Amino acid sequence: MTFAEKIEEWIKEAETRPGSALMILKLIAGRLRDLTERNEELLAENIALENGTRVDEYQKRITHLEYQLALLKKRFGADGEPLSGLPAAQPAAPQALALLAYNASGRMFRFEAFPDSQRAALGRILGEMSMGGEQPRLLALPLEEDVLLMFTSGRVSTLAAADLPFSEAGRSRFWIDAALPDEPHAGELLACLLPLSRLPLADFILQVSRRGSVKRTLSSMSESVLANHYLGRGATQKADQAFDVFLCQKKERLLLVSSQGRALALNVDELSYASEERMRLEPTDYIVASFIMPAGAALVCLTQTGKVIERAADDLEVSKSGLARGQALIPPSRLEQGTRFIGALPVGKDDRLVVLDAAGNLTLHTASVLSAAGAIKVDGPFLSAALLPYSEGPKP
Amino acid sequence: MSLRVGIDFGTSNSGVAIYDGRQVKLLPIDKKNVLPEVVKTVLYITRDYRSLIGQEAIEQYYRDNINRQRRFVRQWAGEIDYRGADMHYVRDIFVYVDELKPGRLMQYLKTALRKDGYEGTRIFERYYKVGDLVQTYLGLLKQRAEELLGDSIQAVTLGRPVRFSASPEGDRRAEETLRQAAYAAGFKQVDFELEPVAAALDYEQTIQSPQNVVIFDFGGGTLDIAVMRLGDSHGRQVYASGGVDVAGSDFDRAIIEKRMLAHFGLGKVSHQPEVLEMIQAVPDWMALPELATPLNRNILEKAIRARMAPVRLKALQALIYDDLAFTFYNRVEAAKIALSDQGATLISLDDRNIGLWELYTRAQFEKDIQHYVGQVEKVLLETLAAAGLEPGQVDAVVKTGGSSNIPLFSDLLARVFGADKVRMSNSFSSVVAGLAIKAAR
Repeated sequence: MTFAEKIEEWIKEAETRPGSALMILKLIAGRLRDLTERNEELLAENIALENGTRVDEYQKRITHLEYQLALLKKRFGADGEPLSGLPAAQPAAPQALALLAYNASGRMFRFEAFPDSQRAALGRILGEMSMGGEQPRLLALPLEEDVLLMFTSGRVSTLAAADLPFSEAGRSRFWIDAALPDEPHAGELLACLLPLSRLPLADFILQVSRRGSVKRTLSSMSESVLANHYLGRGATQKADQAFDVFLCQKKERLLLVSSQGRALALNVDELSYASEERMRLEPTDYIVASFIMPAGAALVCLTQTGKVIERAADDLEVSKSGLARGQALIPPSRLEQGTRFIGALPVGKDDRLVVLDAAGNLTLHTASVLSAAGAIKVDGPFLSAALLPYSEGPKP
Repeated sequence: MSLRVGIDFGTSNSGVAIYDGRQVKLLPIDKKNVLPEVVKTVLYITRDYRSLIGQEAIEQYYRDNINRQRRFVRQWAGEIDYRGADMHYVRDIFVYVDELKPGRLMQYLKTALRKDGYEGTRIFERYYKVGDLVQTYLGLLKQRAEELLGDSIQAVTLGRPVRFSASPEGDRRAEETLRQAAYAAGFKQVDFELEPVAAALDYEQTIQSPQNVVIFDFGGGTLDIAVMRLGDSHGRQVYASGGVDVAGSDFDRAIIEKRMLAHFGLGKVSHQPEVLEMIQAVPDWMALPELATPLNRNILEKAIRARMAPVRLKALQALIYDDLAFTFYNRVEAAKIALSDQGATLISLDDRNIGLWELYTRAQFEKDIQHYVGQVEKVLLETLAAAGLEPGQVDAVVKTGGSSNIPLFSDLLARVFGADKVRMSNSFSSVVAGLAIKAAR
C-alpha cells in the first residue's frame, strides 16, 4: 500500500465520521513535530560530519580503544605480538603475584607472593605504621599490571607494578627505604591503588569515600581521566576523603563495611554519577572496606584483635534506600567493649589472605582455615589484609 | 473459611471471580497482562518441569527462545504399516527433535478437551494427559487466586460451552475430564454452568416475563452464540448454540498482516526466502521466537549490510531480538480496543532501532476485518435457524466479550435484530461474574 493510498483512507475516515478529523489532525501534527525535531538532529549530525567534528570524535575513540587494547595485551603478556598470539586462557600453573604494601605518604614495597606457597611469613616492615591516621594497605596483583594511584585530592597517576623495586621475602625493611614513585602533593595523601588492566572490560569506575559517599564514572571516561590526571574526590563533605576506587560491571553488587560493624550492599546499577552519601554513619564511624561482592564468595570481616566474622553473601540484603545505616554485624555488647572492624574481604574457601599486623609482619593465611579457627594469630593489633586472587594449585 | 469462586476457563483467556453477596470481584490474576483480570490460557512447562501460565509463561517462552542455539537430533517416533495387494511391510518413522529446547508452550487447552483421539502429549521425559495439562493450569490459577484472597478455595463453578462436542459421548467425556482435573487441582467441590447462562445471569435478573434471548459472546479466541429461553418458571432452555473460531486475536493478526508488515520490509524485500519467512512470521507470536536464532540474525545482518531495505530489516531485527515483540503486540491490541470508541488511533513503537508509526482509522480497521463480518453473520443466522426462531421472535440480544464492542459487529446485531434489542453486558467479565454468583449460591 502506497502512502498516497493511506492518505486517501484517512480522508475517507474524516468524511465518514467528521468527529475523527480532529483526532487525525492531532496525530499527524504530533508526528510532524517529532519528524521536524529529528530532521534538525540529522542536519546537525550532517554538519558535524562535513566540518570534521565527528571525524575528530571517532579518532579520539579509536585512540582510546587502542589504549585499552594495549592494556589488555599487557595483561596477557602479549605486548608487541599480534592478537592471535594471545593465550586462550590463564595458565593452569599458579603465577607469582606482586604484593604491594603501601602507606598514605606514597611509600611502596613490592614483594613476591605465591598463592600456593607453603611459607606463612612473607616479610617484615618496620617503622611508623600509621600516616596521617591512615593504616598501610596491601594489594596483590599480577606483575604485568599497571596500577592507578588515587590521591585524596582526587588526583590520579599511573605506574607499572614491575617498575617498583623488588623486596626479597623474609627480610626486614623500613618504610623510609620504600620506593616513592609519586610523592603526594602538599595536603594530599595516597588513598588507594587500583589495578588497571581490567579497565577495558569494566562498565564503571566506582569511588567510595571514608564517610560512605559513592560515585560511579563511566569507564569510557577513563581516557580523559588519565589524560587530565584527575578523577575527583568522590566525597560530598569537606572533611571527608577518598577511600577506595575500583572497577565494576553494571549488574554487580557493591558492599561497604564500616569500622563499627555496619555492612551495606548496593546495586551498582542504581548508583549515582554524582557523589552521593549512601551510608549513614555514626559521627565516629568510617568505612574500612569496600568492594564488589563476587558470586559465591563469603564476606569475611576482621577485627583489630584478629577475630574473624564470616557472613554468607546472601545474608546481606541489597539496600534500595537512598541513605541507609546497613546491617549490624557486631553485637551491641561487643561494640561497647571496643570491638571494631579493621578490614573486610570477599573470600572463597580456597582463597588465601595476606595480613599485616602492627609489628609489621606480613603473613599468608588460608581463608578456610581462618573461617574454621575464627581468628588470625598475629603479633599485636591487626592492620590490613589483602586477597591473593588467583589461588590455584596445591595448598599447604 | 472456605471460599467459592467462579472460573471461566476459556479457549484463549481465562478469569477468576468471587461474589461476596453484594458484588462480584474479579481477581487480578495476571498482573503482567494489559487487563490483569484476564489471564491467557497458555501453559509453559520448562525442561525442569516448572509450570507457568499467562503472560509470565509467554515472557519466559520468549526469554528462553530468543537467540538460543538449536540442535536437532533424529528420534524414532513410531512405525507405519504399509499394506498392498500382496505385500505388507512396516516402516520406521523418525522425527527431528530439538534436544536443546528449553520448554514447551501449550495453548488451546480447552480445545484439547473436546478433540477426539487426542489423549495427551509427551513433554521431555514425561507424558501428560489432557487432564494433567488442565489440572496444572487450574492448579496455578487456584494458587494465584488463593494468594490474592489470603484463604483457601474449596469450591469452584466452572463455565462450559453448551456443547463441548457434537457427540453426547464426547461431550460427557470432556466435562468429566475437566471435572477430574479440577478435583486434582485441589478443589473439593466442582460444578458447572453453561457459559451463555452465566453471561446472561445479570440480564435475567432484570426481566419480568419469559424471553427469547441471543447471547453473543465474542471474546479473544472464539465467538459463541446461544439462543435461550430465559425467565421461564419451567427453567431455562437452550434452543441452539453455535460458534466460530473468529475473535479478537484474528483481528490483531489482520491488523499486523495488512498494516504492519510493510514496516518490517514486506514489499521491499524480494528473492530472499529466509528473510521473507521472518517477515511473514511477525503476526504469529508463537512462531516469532522460533526464528530468533543466531543463524537468522546473521542472515538479517547480511541483508542489512547489502542495503536491502536496511531501516525496515533493522526494525525487524529489533522486534525479534530486542525483546520488543510483546510491546508491539500489546500496542496493536490497544489500538484495536481504542477503535471501538474513537475514529482514529496510533500504533507506534519507538526504540533504538525501530521507529514505527502508523495512523490507523476505524474505516481502515473495518476494511481489514470486513471478511469476518460475513462469517459472523452466517453463523449467527444459522444458530437462529437451528433454534427455529426468526429475528423478530428474539426479545433481546445480550452481547459480551471485548470484540462485541467493535462497532462493525454491534451494527450487524442492530441490523439483524433492531438496535433497541441489543443489550451490552460487561464486555470482559460477564461470564466469569455469572459463574462467581452461581458458585456463591
